[in-house]
Amino acid sequence: MSYDTRIQTGITGFDTMLGGGYLPNTTNLIEGPPGCGKSTLGMQFIYHGAQQGEPGIILTFEALPETYYQMAAAFGWDFRRLEQEGLLKVIITSPEVTQIDLEHANGVLEHTIAQMDAKRILIDSVTHYESAMAHSPNAAPKSKVSLMARGTPAPGASEKFVERDRLYSFLNALKRQGMTTLLTRETTFLFGDEEGFSGGAGIHFIVDSYTMLRYVEIMSAVRRAIIVLKMRGSAHDSAIRQFEIDARGLVVMAPFEGQEGLMSGTPKRMAASFIKAFVRK
Amino acid sequence: MKMHTLNTRVPQDLDPDLLDFLTTYVDSFIKWELLLFFHQNPNTFDTAEGIARYLGRDKEDVQDALSFLKAHGLLDEVVVGNMLAYVLKPNAELQDKVQKFTEATNDREFRRKAVYHLIRK
Ligand SMILES: Nc1ncnc2c1ncn2[C@@H]1O[C@H](COP(=O)(O)OP(=O)(O)OP(=O)(O)O)[C@@H](O)[C@H]1O
Ligand SMILES: [Mg+2]
Repeated sequence: MSYDTRIQTGITGFDTMLGGGYLPNTTNLIEGPPGCGKSTLGMQFIYHGAQQGEPGIILTFEALPETYYQMAAAFGWDFRRLEQEGLLKVIITSPEVTQIDLEHANGVLEHTIAQMDAKRILIDSVTHYESAMAHSPNAAPKSKVSLMARGTPAPGASEKFVERDRLYSFLNALKRQGMTTLLTRETTFLFGDEEGFSGGAGIHFIVDSYTMLRYVEIMSAVRRAIIVLKMRGSAHDSAIRQFEIDARGLVVMAPFEGQEGLMSGTPKRMAASFIKAFVRK
Repeated sequence: MKMHTLNTRVPQDLDPDLLDFLTTYVDSFIKWELLLFFHQNPNTFDTAEGIARYLGRDKEDVQDALSFLKAHGLLDEVVVGNMLAYVLKPNAELQDKVQKFTEATNDREFRRKAVYHLIRK
């Protein structure tokens, strides 16, 4: 059915969790701690698209494009060749420039998207965007109209409100361009049972889907786990799955109940540590 | 013969095309770094402030060098709200020269000569 066309990430197990892939023209959040695999997942999403002939963009606010060429090469993904073939652009810019450029018709980014006929975009990471929006006087929202339309914010809530408005307009600009967006976001805590969860400007409510990556400690070994917490307009797998990163990128395994290692261990304790990792206080 | 050996000083023995490129575009280390930066990161779209941060250089110095490279046709300047952002200008001929220059900078001997040329200015 055409309304249910999916944008596959190319990570088989993850696509299964998403009910076949992301819905087209949506914004999708991947959140997790340092080194857990956010950028790898994002690059895989872009690479898979390019292989299907769908041009993609990686927008970075901190790591240089060279870093992505190198990271990708470790998985055998030739990003420089994709750039030469017009299937990829790794753009480094700042959040303030992005925000204002996207608000104006015929900006550089809009022009690039149209020229490439890009369908996928990876924002790595939205954390930088959020902190810049929280501090920058430059990047005020285009007009106050949208703010007024949604009513006057309560006293003290106005800053968060403006931040959220900026984020909302940024993500909407990408939607307007017909993009399927993947946003990575950093969490500072390594395991799920630590304090420090920060909702920022409410990004979890704005995005269409929300996936969490976590480190999980099972029997003295640190593993990686993935869960889809929200997906608008679609059923999704609610199981917690283990994943690994190998020479092919992310490899998502069966829900962890079925794992071999669990059979030989103490499943109850392991289930408890997975739950602990994902349930916030 | 002896005189000649003594006079075999840089930059006279640089490749004429490269010497020409150096003389026209690379009269400071900042410009050298910027050319390499845009060559390695061709889809950069940012302000002097942003680019200065990536390079770990002074914002004013970077702004001056960016304006120079814009004036010399290597970069395009884009007005973004109340900011100025820079992108690589699509110009195959110039990009080809930059490519030759960056390739040459992989050679230690060339770097030595080019640096000499720069500090002699
Ligand atoms: N070829 C490979 N084989 C196996 N593992 C790899 C390979 N290349 C990278 N990794 C692993 O992938 C991890 C890097 O993941 P990635 O850069 O995607 O994390 P991240 O969540 O984006 O981190 P950060 O928050 O620091 O940006 C590294 O910790 C490394 O262990
Ligand atoms: Mg990363």
